[in-house]
Amino acid sequence: MIADEDTVVGFLLAGVGNVELLRKTNYLIVDSKTTVKQIEDAFKEFTAREDIAVVLISQYVANMIRFLVDSYNKPVPAILEIPSKDHLYDPAHDSVLSRVKYLFSAESVASGRR
Amino acid sequence: MEQETPILENVEQELAIVEQQQRQQLAEEVEQSANVLQFMDSLDAYLTLIHSLSSTLRQGWLDLASARHSMGVSRVNTVLLDHKFHPASTSLLVTQDEEKVDSMEPHFTLCKWASSGNEKLLLGETQSDQDKLQPQPRRRGGSQLYEEKTSHENKASHQVDQVQRERCKSLSVFGTLVSPKLRAAQLSFETALETLVEIANMRSTMLCAFDKVHKMQGDSKG
Repeated sequence: MIADEDTVVGFLLAGVGNVELLRKTNYLIVDSKTTVKQIEDAFKEFTAREDIAVVLISQYVANMIRFLVDSYNKPVPAILEIPSKDHLYDPAHDSVLSRVKYLFSAESVASGRR
Repeated sequence: MEQETPILENVEQELAIVEQQQRQQLAEEVEQSANVLQFMDSLDAYLTLIHSLSSTLRQGWLDLASARHSMGVSRVNTVLLDHKFHPASTSLLVTQDEEKVDSMEPHFTLCKWASSGNEKLLLGETQSDQDKLQPQPRRRGGSQLYEEKTSHENKASHQVDQVQRERCKSLSVFGTLVSPKLRAAQLSFETALETLVEIANMRSTMLCAFDKVHKMQGDSKG
């Protein structure tokens, strides 16, 4: 998980928190002091780990590293952008929906008609 | 008459080829339509699930805020999180659909509240659920049936006890006595997890259907 405090606490209550030896966790709590570099490093680490199947990332956090999220295209771990308490979910920014929306663009419709 | 026969044969052969090509084209169009339909259905389901997730998360955040209000900010805080070694109680099982050999579509299954060394409790696959779905036989050899039923009930209650123990363990990070709102928040986020697993599966299906549509469009352009 890469999300705000409340979201992380909630999902930890649901039992998804994992702490390995050397205090390595499977979550990063993002607050006002978290840098973009820290978020990028956490994203790269979680997507490279073989014991992680799904990465939950608040959409407003994903927007900070949008290039990295959009360029990720492996099936596992799956990247799921979730809403946060203070930022509503916007389908226009979702990386999966951005990937498939070209099917509805004028260009693809025009090329299909040729 | 003899010169006309080879000409007729050629025409017949050409007609057969054209007919075969038309049939092939029709089959491709039908397959393309099916792929597009699957893609649209999965896209619609994905958006619906995201909406449902938003609603569940809002409830969870509200319960968490209520718990923080009744227990105090210092008691519901990430500072209390334990950084000692412990595995996740809830995990995901990733499998590949056996029927789709040429596809990389993964399938995610939630394993809720299983601790290491204990039997895994799969979502929707508990023995007690299976027993409820199957029709119960009439009591003829009374004692044997009674023993089997008791054994199933014991297993089910053992699993329920285990789930409760794991839930309490998770809550105990925030103290021995916790607000009912914190328990409610826990349930909300558990529900959110179930929705997230459905979203993950729908995402896989959608991307797989999209790849097929994209590939067929590329093939048709040449």
